[in-house]
Amino acid sequence: MASSSSSGLTFKLHALVIVNISDHYTRVKSQMNPPLTSTSSTSTVNNNSSNGMEHHQQAPRVYGCVIGVQRGRTVEIFNSFELLCDPSTHSLDRSFLEKKQELYKKVFPHFYILGWYSTGSDAEESDMHIHKALMDINESPLYVLLNPAINHAQKDLPVTIYESELHVIDGIPQLIFVRSSYTIETVEAERISVDHVAHLKPSDGGSAATQLAAHLTGIHSAIKMLNSRIRVLHHYLVGMQKGDIPCENSLLRQVSSLLRRLPAIESEKFQDDFLMEYNDTLLITYLAMFTNCSSKMNEVVDKFNTAYDRHSRRGGRTAFI
Amino acid sequence: MDIEQKQAELIDHFVKQASAQKGSALGSVIVEATSHPSLFAFSEILAVPTVAELEGTDNSLYLEVLRLFAHGTWSDYKSNSGSFPQLVPDQVLKLKQLTVLTLAETNKVLPYDQLMLELDVSNVRELEDFLINECMYVGIVRGKLDQLRRCFEVQFAAGRDLRPGQLGSMIQTLSNWLATSDNLLISIQEKIKWADTMSELDKKHRKEVEDRVEDVKKSLSLKKLHTVIRPMLTSEGLRRSTVNLVE
Repeated sequence: MASSSSSGLTFKLHALVIVNISDHYTRVKSQMNPPLTSTSSTSTVNNNSSNGMEHHQQAPRVYGCVIGVQRGRTVEIFNSFELLCDPSTHSLDRSFLEKKQELYKKVFPHFYILGWYSTGSDAEESDMHIHKALMDINESPLYVLLNPAINHAQKDLPVTIYESELHVIDGIPQLIFVRSSYTIETVEAERISVDHVAHLKPSDGGSAATQLAAHLTGIHSAIKMLNSRIRVLHHYLVGMQKGDIPCENSLLRQVSSLLRRLPAIESEKFQDDFLMEYNDTLLITYLAMFTNCSSKMNEVVDKFNTAYDRHSRRGGRTAFI
Repeated sequence: MDIEQKQAELIDHFVKQASAQKGSALGSVIVEATSHPSLFAFSEILAVPTVAELEGTDNSLYLEVLRLFAHGTWSDYKSNSGSFPQLVPDQVLKLKQLTVLTLAETNKVLPYDQLMLELDVSNVRELEDFLINECMYVGIVRGKLDQLRRCFEVQFAAGRDLRPGQLGSMIQTLSNWLATSDNLLISIQEKIKWADTMSELDKKHRKEVEDRVEDVKKSLSLKKLHTVIRPMLTSEGLRRSTVNLVE
């Protein structure tokens, strides 16, 4: 059903939309699951039906609208909001949609409804009904699909954008979904929040070791990426030297200018500054340790005194100090 | 990188012109190419077969000029000015710009004295004007001018055409870089392991101490049953204080 799109539109998807959709899905899923597990454990009669329902609701489908701007051939999807979908008729709540649209128009006058979103692994036939329903708001709406199944082997984002195209199948012109490619756009605020989520520290505040490990792991992966890219360059140059690849002078010039920036930190001034800062950090750590130790000693002595004080009042030993 | 993009069209244009003409007409093409304000790359033009044919003919001077602009500096020109035709002021400027690029190849910090010597400039003001207007605004060099220490720190310099031997040294530098980053990755992993083992040891130590405290508590509470009220008070106090001690 999905081939690649030929409309020539370029899509830009903002990170906020993806976060919104996944948040919606997670919320709905976590709200649905606990009540079901409690009912299925109590009654065995309803077990089959609730098991069936539970299975269906293990992966609830959530629906919503995506809004954004279309300038010429570029479609930029900025934001999204949720919608209620009636599962029996497979239609969206129209009045709610219009109310939300009005509200968003007041805040963002430039944004139009560009399409709708849902979760699932693949586009289905029933989605076409909703798609057609939205066609009176926007002549060619977009369908953004998020696959909530976590697949560690998959490297790309599990988000696909479908457009609808009129294809002639078996002599009948039909609307089918075709996949389109998209790029991710981020605004500064989005970048900060995505970065924050990516660097989640363990929530108990961890010991110093876990925080250090987390920080070092971040650096490790960054250097690993750099390493792999330099390896590619190296391979390319070796190939050029052997003569397998024709010499491309422009690239060679760029590589030589890049290599000229190395060694990046070897001047004497850097060494001086670096050692000074290193020594300062060590000194401060040492000082903090000292203070800690002396306060603990103070406490020990106080307690010892208290203990032996009581003894002496009963006619026992004298105080330690 | 932007310079390469800016130059790409110019290079194509000149290569087409060079391959279309031959002999002395090429001379004018070469002069035009070397005086063009935005063109700094000449190896593509050198590679055009009609240009290579100039070798050994009457017009080999132009080939020499092209080679000079591709790999040489202003001092090369001055020392052998006999073997090159007279350069127009545009070409002189370009050659000086290329000289700055070559100097930036070897050192990151270029002292003003060396620059003034290489570029035939007598005072600092002129040198700085040259660096700012002709090099930085054009975009071939980025860096900081330090007047107090009289040096020019280069942060970025565009690449010149490669000499045939330079490819080997570039590959060597790249492999060194790779080796260094591999070592760094390994040492980071070791550090992470070290941090984990240290935290394990620390937890074990804490647990041991707490176990000992529990044992002492238990032994004292046993003693409590066998003593009179007054001593009980003291041992109670002692127990509480020993608990605080090992906190």
